[in-house]
Amino acid sequence: MITVSHLKKTFRRNKVEAVKDVSMEIRDGQIFALLGPNGAGKTTTMRMLSTLLLPTSGSICYDDVPLSEDTEAIRRRIAFLTNEIRLDGQFTPDELAEYYGRLYEMTPEKIAENKTKLFDYFGIAEFRNRRYETFSTGMKQKTSIAICLLHDPDTIIFDEPTNGLDILTQNLIEEYMLKLKEEGKCIILSTHILDLARRLSDRVGVIVDGKSVYVGEMAELASSQGVTTMEEAFLKLYKENHEEKAIVGKHKE
Amino acid sequence: MHGLGTIFCHEMKKIGKEKSLLLGFILLPVISLLMTVGVSLLQPKGGEEAEAQAYRMFFAGVGIERINIGSVDGKDVWIEPVEEDVETFLKSDAFHEYDVLVDYSDIQNVHIYYYENNGISAYLKLSAESFVRESYSSVFAGRLPEGSQIRTTALTDLKEKENANRIIAMLLPYMLILPLTANIANFASDTVAGDKARGTFYQVMLSPVAPISLILGKIFSVCAISLLSSTLYIGLDVLGSVLCEKFGVRDVFGFSGVSVSSRQILLIVLYAVLLCYFFSNLGVLISLFCKDMNQAQIAQLPVTLLCTVSALLAMFRFGISPKSHYLIPIYNLCLIFQDLLNGRARLENMIMVAVCLFVLAVAVMVVTLLSYRSERVRT
Repeated sequence: MITVSHLKKTFRRNKVEAVKDVSMEIRDGQIFALLGPNGAGKTTTMRMLSTLLLPTSGSICYDDVPLSEDTEAIRRRIAFLTNEIRLDGQFTPDELAEYYGRLYEMTPEKIAENKTKLFDYFGIAEFRNRRYETFSTGMKQKTSIAICLLHDPDTIIFDEPTNGLDILTQNLIEEYMLKLKEEGKCIILSTHILDLARRLSDRVGVIVDGKSVYVGEMAELASSQGVTTMEEAFLKLYKENHEEKAIVGKHKE
Repeated sequence: MHGLGTIFCHEMKKIGKEKSLLLGFILLPVISLLMTVGVSLLQPKGGEEAEAQAYRMFFAGVGIERINIGSVDGKDVWIEPVEEDVETFLKSDAFHEYDVLVDYSDIQNVHIYYYENNGISAYLKLSAESFVRESYSSVFAGRLPEGSQIRTTALTDLKEKENANRIIAMLLPYMLILPLTANIANFASDTVAGDKARGTFYQVMLSPVAPISLILGKIFSVCAISLLSSTLYIGLDVLGSVLCEKFGVRDVFGFSGVSVSSRQILLIVLYAVLLCYFFSNLGVLISLFCKDMNQAQIAQLPVTLLCTVSALLAMFRFGISPKSHYLIPIYNLCLIFQDLLNGRARLENMIMVAVCLFVLAVAVMVVTLLSYRSERVRT
């Protein structure tokens, strides 16, 4: 379980307050969807959860262990998959699995076992000796997922995992996320595709302008806002919490 | 230090698989080889080979007649008497680089002058020694006290050796620093900024590998590959020189007359490794703050330029540099390279330069490690 409490991130370089106050609880065996419009602070929150960025204030605890206490141990337990993450194009999936497996101090037997399982599932097995750079977008994404999950993490953070993929690959990834959930893994899914969140997630967190404005059961999102659909609830939350910076700027002129 | 070896091996493999990087790795040395041979071939022929119609053994200080004693390589070998002063004769044009001069002024301590690096003159020197011994009893025995023996002392002509080393000493900083900085800028740009542009850096950052292992793994790989490439670069230059010599063309870079001891070579290699380590640290640090390879390569240009200027300044220095110059980074290294080849290196200067470079490299490494944690690198 991940407990995020009053998370704040201000970038020192440009003084941008990307995340102002985010709190949420993400449970094992569930898919937690993080929703929000573009620029709301989802990616920054994900980066903090994945240890890439340090929070300015607030805390992140993995099973009551603060992230700052033992970052390396927590990294062994998590996987972060974004569209930005790519693998070295000159290498084959086999070579990449070997490399990343070693970085996670996995035994050769364990690497081989997990690799076979994941490559078979994602249909990479027959291309295991082909260079990554020669793959199609979908195949690259599947290989990236397989490599990211090689060390069998407890927590998997997906940032827009199905963007730009065909329906077949999207479906395969969605099914795998459900499979991971059944295995008791803790899954965080950041997306702006509301339909994807509705289909997969158990709980949801909505971020607007760097603040978590709703955290709760997916099924209760609409009713909690007094509307009938998820889209309506999302728009209502956005309108109620969004600071109209552009209008303020106009008045000043 | 878990992961250091894995990252090092991966980076080396990556460079091996990257065609554009490999091209730079091979192309630069090959161009250098072609330049050495090409420029040497294009230079005006001195006609030394044509002039050397015969190999000569000159004898000074003894009344000996001009005599032909056979042939080597189809050329006659002549023994010629020398009437003038040995030192003057050695400096004159009459003494050819293949010739051997036997000085009998002191018949108990016969000195033989020849060019040590020249195979023919080395062979002729043996013939001269044998000739001296054979004719000893008939020519000299009567002049010496009973029981005394002739001693021959072979001397290398130091004049030529010094000249050749001086040229190399002048060129070495430039020859070493230029390929090293160019290679490091290329490889370091790819190892971090290239990874960031390709999106492969984040995956490693997310792994449980300690920052020091990740950074050192990358630094060491840049260092190793740059050293390999630079060795190839200089190696091919030397090969060019050997080829020039083989085909009877006087090599413009003058490697053929160079005489360096293994100690000198070892020290030069040690300083080159230190230099490489420092540059690799600097290259990785610069690369860390850049978004792609182009940006990183442009950012590395001032460093390359500064190093080139330092090497050029060292190339045209005259006399002995003051001690304070040995504290100026990079320039001090150029001075040490020259001093080592000229045989003027002083231990205190050598230590000062090594410590200066090592401290700088470690300082840059610490800054790199601190920078690795910064937001600018991680976003």
